Amino acid sequence: MRILAPISVGLLFLIGPALAQGGFEDKVHPILQNRCLPCHDARTRTSGFSVAILDSVLAGGARHGRAVKNGQPSESPLIQILRGRIKPQMPLGQALAETEIVAIEEWIRTLKPESATTPAAAKGGYWAFLKPTPQAPPSVKNSRWVRNDIDAFILNRLEANSLTPPPEADRKVLVRRLYFDLIGLPPTPQEVRAFVESNSPKAYEELVERLLGDKRYGERWGRHWLDLARYADTNGYEGDPEFAHAWRYRDYVIDAFNNDKPYDEFIKEQIAGDELAPVMSAGPLPPPEPEKVVALTFLRLAPFTEPRGEESRDLLLSEMTSTVSSVFLGLTVGCAKCHDHKYDMVPTRDFYRMKAFFATVQIEPARVGDVQQLGGPLRAEFYRPGEKEWADKARAGFEEELRTIEKDFAVFQKPLLEKLTARRRREKPTGDASAQAEVTLKDLKKEISDEGDNSAGFQKKEPVFSQVEKQQFQKFEGQVLRLKKKIERLEPAAMSLRHSDGPPYGPSVPTTHVLIRGEYDRPGEPVEPGFLSAITGNSDPAVIEIDRYKRHPTRGRRLALAKWIASSENPLTARVMVNRLWQHHFGRGIVDTPSDFGKNGSPPTHPELLDWLATRFVEGKWSVKAMHRLILASNTYRQSSQNIDAKAMQSDPDNRLLWRFNRLRLEGEVIRDSVLAVSGRLNPERGGPPVFPPLPKGLDEAQKVQGINTWETSNGGDGRKRSVYVFQRRSLNLPLLETFDASVFNASCDRRRTSITALQPLSMYNGEFANLEARHFAEVLQKVGSNLDAQIQQGFWLALARSPTAAELKRLSAFLDSVGSKEEALIGLCRILLNTNEFVYVD
Amino acid sequence: MKRESLFPLAMNLSRRDFLCRSCNGIGAMALAGMLAEDLRADTALLNPLAPKPQHLTRKAKHCIFMFMAGGASQIDTFDYKPSLKKYANQRLPLLSGLSGEIEGFLKAPHRAIPSAWDFKQYGQSGRYISTLFPHIGECADDLAFVFGVKVDNNNHGPATMHVNTGSPLQGSASVGSWISYGLGSPNQNLPAYVVIQDPRGAPVNGAAVWGNGFLPAAYQGTLFRSSGTPILDLDPPEALTRERQRKEFDMIKWLNERHNSERPGASDLEARINAYELAFRMQKDAPEVVDLSGETEQTKKLYGLDDPTTEGFGRQCLLARRLVEKGVRYTLLVHGVEISKSSWDDHGNFKERMPQHAAEVDRPVAALLKDLKQRGLLEDTLVVWASEMGRTPFINDLKSDKPGRDHNQYGLVVWLAGGDVKGGSTAGETDEFGIKALGEPIPLRDVHATILNLLGLSDERLTYLHAGRFRKLTDIGGRVLTEVIA
Repeated sequence: MRILAPISVGLLFLIGPALAQGGFEDKVHPILQNRCLPCHDARTRTSGFSVAILDSVLAGGARHGRAVKNGQPSESPLIQILRGRIKPQMPLGQALAETEIVAIEEWIRTLKPESATTPAAAKGGYWAFLKPTPQAPPSVKNSRWVRNDIDAFILNRLEANSLTPPPEADRKVLVRRLYFDLIGLPPTPQEVRAFVESNSPKAYEELVERLLGDKRYGERWGRHWLDLARYADTNGYEGDPEFAHAWRYRDYVIDAFNNDKPYDEFIKEQIAGDELAPVMSAGPLPPPEPEKVVALTFLRLAPFTEPRGEESRDLLLSEMTSTVSSVFLGLTVGCAKCHDHKYDMVPTRDFYRMKAFFATVQIEPARVGDVQQLGGPLRAEFYRPGEKEWADKARAGFEEELRTIEKDFAVFQKPLLEKLTARRRREKPTGDASAQAEVTLKDLKKEISDEGDNSAGFQKKEPVFSQVEKQQFQKFEGQVLRLKKKIERLEPAAMSLRHSDGPPYGPSVPTTHVLIRGEYDRPGEPVEPGFLSAITGNSDPAVIEIDRYKRHPTRGRRLALAKWIASSENPLTARVMVNRLWQHHFGRGIVDTPSDFGKNGSPPTHPELLDWLATRFVEGKWSVKAMHRLILASNTYRQSSQNIDAKAMQSDPDNRLLWRFNRLRLEGEVIRDSVLAVSGRLNPERGGPPVFPPLPKGLDEAQKVQGINTWETSNGGDGRKRSVYVFQRRSLNLPLLETFDASVFNASCDRRRTSITALQPLSMYNGEFANLEARHFAEVLQKVGSNLDAQIQQGFWLALARSPTAAELKRLSAFLDSVGSKEEALIGLCRILLNTNEFVYVD
Repeated sequence: MKRESLFPLAMNLSRRDFLCRSCNGIGAMALAGMLAEDLRADTALLNPLAPKPQHLTRKAKHCIFMFMAGGASQIDTFDYKPSLKKYANQRLPLLSGLSGEIEGFLKAPHRAIPSAWDFKQYGQSGRYISTLFPHIGECADDLAFVFGVKVDNNNHGPATMHVNTGSPLQGSASVGSWISYGLGSPNQNLPAYVVIQDPRGAPVNGAAVWGNGFLPAAYQGTLFRSSGTPILDLDPPEALTRERQRKEFDMIKWLNERHNSERPGASDLEARINAYELAFRMQKDAPEVVDLSGETEQTKKLYGLDDPTTEGFGRQCLLARRLVEKGVRYTLLVHGVEISKSSWDDHGNFKERMPQHAAEVDRPVAALLKDLKQRGLLEDTLVVWASEMGRTPFINDLKSDKPGRDHNQYGLVVWLAGGDVKGGSTAGETDEFGIKALGEPIPLRDVHATILNLLGLSDERLTYLHAGRFRKLTDIGGRVLTEVIA
């Protein structure tokens, strides 16, 4: 690496050897700076062209593309324009001196047509950086097994390894598999029977179609996406403040899956939803659609550390860069923040070129009361059908309730204020002016909080208020606080962001610097936004489309990135997404490290299949549901999870070749939802602000801060909505979910673990939730009459989607008979069923 | 997930070896079934908490980590700065090597405040300790101090994460999770990693402080309550006798074994059967830990259970000893509550508050050290005392008549005791103001590397593949502070 002379920004300018050629800094740059500013500085960028730095000069403007053809001055648009061969000649009306042009030509001539400008493909590059190639399905011996092309790819590898797939799973297994896979809930006994007994030759396809059309599909598959999006309703850290409007993004994601929003649109909305609408006039910007404002919440869901100026800004943008890369591109560029990535050919410089796409992100200033300074929301009207009416009504109700409570609270406060005033007067010497001052509500609050702070030793004086008064006061405070939260959640707002105001109201595009060793206060070389060079094969800056009126120079950066990602030309995007779909259907991706397609990740087990799927995904206009249909229609998906084959167990114990279906442990959310479904108490209501199921008693005590509840327990049906709607609090999670690895994520999570711990039986057998629902489950069983065998039958059908065997029936009825109380016996049966392996595993 | 990374420590053991070494129930039960099929056993899945060998031989097998939430002032506790007296009420000079908030503090008006308490020399080592800690002073010769530790953030949330998980950002695995992952647990009837928080409430970040981060959930800290039923959902529903529960468990087991027999070779299904047995035993063993009726009055008194000031942390410390006796690998004791006076975050009125915090922990901590020693357990147990940051030797609020100290990420003091810790030793040293280390600061990762080392683990070898790279508690690797190791 060579160090060049300091440039105008006064910083040492470190650039790679490929570019550090030919005296750009001492000869060429001064000419361009002298003659082309101010129309082409980093801010003005007329026609998108800027001479601010080497990168931007090479890249050229919006009209003619890359300005410099290495080694070929006469072919370079830059020279053609300077010489007037492309009109208008530049600089306008005052052409450069011949010596100046020659100097520039000289420099261009010295630039080697370097390999960096060759597409990765031509270099025999890494597979994931080459575009998927269309694949013909391979030939197989047992062609009868092939239901669609997927099977040919799978069977081909099995045959090559002398393995045979098992027969198709029986219908009882398939129906349960499909329900859990597609909607995350068990089928009802009627649904099982209908499918098992159906005579339709298309029974399977019809079931798939019905489940894909079921709104619960979005709740199930949206949850997978929320893991990637590190979704939470709170920030974590000190005070764990709430993201009051994040829930709207959760509903957006669920809708996107239900409506089969094309994946390329889904990407663009989450990265640049605010920049999608074209600018049609020089007037004010078109307001972005509410849905697109909500979609951008994706970029803001990371835990935010209390503002420390530049440091927090760097953390924020770096996190966006890493998360966008890992979620959409399956690349872990985060490591490159501090050092060149050993595995992925992502140099540090590329990390900052990616980060530069986010340089104009602006978050609304924090509102009053936002102690941790998370920043404010943006306005986003309710747009889902019926949502506005519902939200307005609910909000009005809460506001009314708040007014009543505040009135009662004021009445309650009055004698307390008087009491405190009297005490203060008594304590202070007469003549002390402050003794005469009225005691305010603030003083009252402080006094009560101080007295409530019962650390021994702090409490030295006689308390002013009784325990009852203090508790009542804090109860009021809690009520007011919770109602205000409820009202805030129902504001027509989203935790969104936008591009910053450019000139004249705000500053122009800030320069992004490489940060040396990733330290925010050690800026190095400045960079322009650019795509990953390992993929594009060059380090050219990205062309940012700025509106034709040049009114919004800060707009369009994220859109440029989003378009590049959501492009059929991008070698990673489609592969990464089809792999994620495959992963959730089969429990494991073709690439086993779904957010890491780099060299340190796992190589694909079936690379041709991956390419074939990716190609089909793009051809199918990025329809996710079309991919589900395709995968579910294969024999590979329909095969049994039972295949007792000693040879296969020996040669492929991890089942990487799919010589059987993988038995899957259900996720924490699915387990909780299934318990509620079986007990008949699942509240099917969809969407809306988060809900707060009751906490187990022990935890309910632990979460209190000085006796005040921090969890708004939802009474009634709200607490029994599906787990995807449960308040996702980073400092506290429902223990049942937590023990089954369903955490509230702080960083993008690409794979759930399936731990097995002793705390799981404690939750599922002893826990209040499980026992309450077992009781309701037992009530459901009583409805089939008093015949014990019939009750056992129904219990099996509800929980396990099958009949008990004769042996099971015999042993269970003997056991139940031995318990004194019939009612207790039945509850015991339900508890037992919910605790079986079969209940939490899918074949 | 790569198998090697999930189970890096037992690779040299044959499966039979492994199962025999962990013959405390779970291994033996599984043995017959596992040997029947010639499968590559995923032992980590079968029992993620099976004991695993140390990387290097160290005496300590257990760790008790005492976390003082809120940022305990080093200047008023263990970092003796008599030189600060001559700067009393003056402005301190600008210092190099500082950035961020601290730098801003120093540039803004402030005045120096020396410690309000005398320091006394204790023990053979003659270590200076604030007279706020007379009992801990008596243990001075067992303690090794690390001064001038630098934390990567100057605020409670991230700093607390950094001290407890190695990263100021949320989402990494906590120290206790790493150690449980690295060493497993000698006692399968109790959690490997127990957390006892202040009875008055949770610290900043809540459960994230003892989270498993990217490690499997089996390695997360289990919150213990100090009395009654210690673990959430430990007790079966009231109506259920233990006998009847056993019958129901037998029925579950019978159903599971039938289900299993049709699905041979599924180690996860087997592990789940074992988990029920484990839970059943835990129900019996865990309440015994918190039942203090067997402790003598003398012991209870030693820990301060007879005084409301010391009772809270005294009980936490006594439980920690009992957990060590039971074989629990890692115990996190938290003293202090988020955003309250019961936290070490003394921005105001430190002259009244510090004695209060100190009194709450002094006797219990000393009792724990003495009690462990007397029982011969201090040899086996690494004890760590830390906060999330130090504090400034000056105040910013010039007008206040009840001043306090601000945050100082450069001045953290940590002490270690037990195991192979060299009592009376020190690592690092702060400048004459107690603001930051003289010379290069000691990064927190060095402290973490030292903790792991003292438990027989190498921070370079204890790795887990996550999001494209092998994660370590110390991230880029730490230096073991050999100065404090015997």
